[in-house]
Amino acid sequence: MNTLLRKRSTVSSFILAVSILILSYYIFISIWPILFNVYMSLSKTDLMTGWTFVWFKNYISLFKDPIFLKALVNNIIYLVVMVSVGIGTSLITAALIHKTSGFAKKAYLALFFLPVVTSLVAISLIWKLLYYPNVGVFASIISSVFQLNPPLFLASPKTALLSIIFMDIWKDTGLRTVILHAGMEEIPESIYDASKIDGASTLTHFFKITIPLLRPQIIFLAAVYSINALRVFTPIYMMTGNPPGGPAHSTQVLVMRMYQEAFYSTHFGKGAAIAMIVFVLLFALVILEVKSFQQKWEY
Amino acid sequence: MIKRRNLNKYIFLSTISKIGLHALLIIGSLFMVLPFLWMIVSSFKPNIDIISVGFKLFSPNWTLDNYRKVLSDMNIGRAYFNSIFVASVATAFTIFSASAAGFLFSKLKFWGRDALFFLVLGSVMIPPQIVLIPLYLMISKAHLVNSYPGLVIPFLINAFGVFLMRQFIYGIPNDLLEAARIDGASDWRIYFRIILPLVKPAIAVVGILTFLWAYDEFLWPLVVINNNAMMTLPLILGRYAMAEGGVVAGASMATTSLVLGPLLLIYFFFQRFFIKGISMTGMKG
Repeated sequence: MNTLLRKRSTVSSFILAVSILILSYYIFISIWPILFNVYMSLSKTDLMTGWTFVWFKNYISLFKDPIFLKALVNNIIYLVVMVSVGIGTSLITAALIHKTSGFAKKAYLALFFLPVVTSLVAISLIWKLLYYPNVGVFASIISSVFQLNPPLFLASPKTALLSIIFMDIWKDTGLRTVILHAGMEEIPESIYDASKIDGASTLTHFFKITIPLLRPQIIFLAAVYSINALRVFTPIYMMTGNPPGGPAHSTQVLVMRMYQEAFYSTHFGKGAAIAMIVFVLLFALVILEVKSFQQKWEY
Repeated sequence: MIKRRNLNKYIFLSTISKIGLHALLIIGSLFMVLPFLWMIVSSFKPNIDIISVGFKLFSPNWTLDNYRKVLSDMNIGRAYFNSIFVASVATAFTIFSASAAGFLFSKLKFWGRDALFFLVLGSVMIPPQIVLIPLYLMISKAHLVNSYPGLVIPFLINAFGVFLMRQFIYGIPNDLLEAARIDGASDWRIYFRIILPLVKPAIAVVGILTFLWAYDEFLWPLVVINNNAMMTLPLILGRYAMAEGGVVAGASMATTSLVLGPLLLIYFFFQRFFIKGISMTGMKG
């Protein structure tokens, strides 16, 4: 056989090896587990004594369970605040940094980025102490500098969830800022010059030019952070004591409920059902975001 | 005259707004850095001075007791080794799998490529947290609970790395690959000799981020590790989460300092790679 022809008609060993590696890894790590998880979510089992098929009983009992519903609502609040406030504040910091130049710009970016390259587990512990009620650092600053009555932060069901979200937003401000700032640098100055002649103010620039042109970055960040918010676990576990999710279930979230149903109460079927609900939410969100990404830009 | 006055006013206002701009950014930067400074200072203070009425950053009672306690209390050396070892294996594997897959999806054509890429895309929707329970059952059936393979298996290929590499390798001119192919180079040879050396910046980004994520992973080790020798650093920190904050304040700040130390040091030296690399990832979304 002609060697040239053979080269064209056969798949190289590289293609074969890498595709088989990817395919088998994802079958093992994602596809089989999610199928197994579907089956499990329709069963009642503690993994020790038995395994009975119960159809949708787990789902029905979940939607009657006030703690689960609380976790669902909390998780949606987490997602909405994290995405909107997180991207909003980072847009402001990126716009401010964009106005600086030279060494100052580099220094600001580097400092804002610092918490990003550390560990969320460790940061949660630090902030848990900063949030210490009445005599902690934040409480002391609020009462002595601003002469206000400080909130109880993590100790009160009213403020606990927001305190955790605030810390989570703080941690990744630099990451979002760097991505948005990179997008701003790409926007040609000439676009602004044209509208300056028309007499547009800085704020008009920001809302009418900068934000629409940053659409790809903003959608990318919205996708990343809604996925992150839906699977949040670490800061809740680290900051809310024993058992996690308190006080009074005010910081319960879906993955925490899944973990507790499965590994504290040995309701593995219920845990698997919660996992399916998170999966469906994730799926819907990703589809929504891909759709809005594909939409034609209009401005 | 009027013109001159307006110009002065303009210069005055723009100086004011410049000062305001820098003031805001300096306050913001301090807010990013101070919690870490507070952590380090607190790790040298007795508990009573960390959480105390009337906030003071510095305490007259400096002590090394927190570090002594942490270092003698538990096997933090072993936890360091476990964490760094697991994160390094995950990173090395991810760099190779991501760059090979990136090459595959951007430059090679074969039957089923789009379906395979769709699979990788879809895996974003099935993170390890979602399949935690079945994954745990599989690992425990395979007797990999409390083992290094058990810790590292879910983190060997990641979709983010594949996307980034694909994007990056896409930019390598086809002529270069065609020339090598005419010279008789196989895909393996092209991958090792051309692709890998050309994607160094992307390797830096994927490598650094994968290392950070693996070093910081919490839920998975919490489920698959239950003996002290196999604990990773986040699990050691997790123990403090269950105690009342004030009682373990000094010890927990000493431990977080030890955990964050290597990361802060790495960041200090490789800072420009981080920012450049991340800016690169955001471009295409």
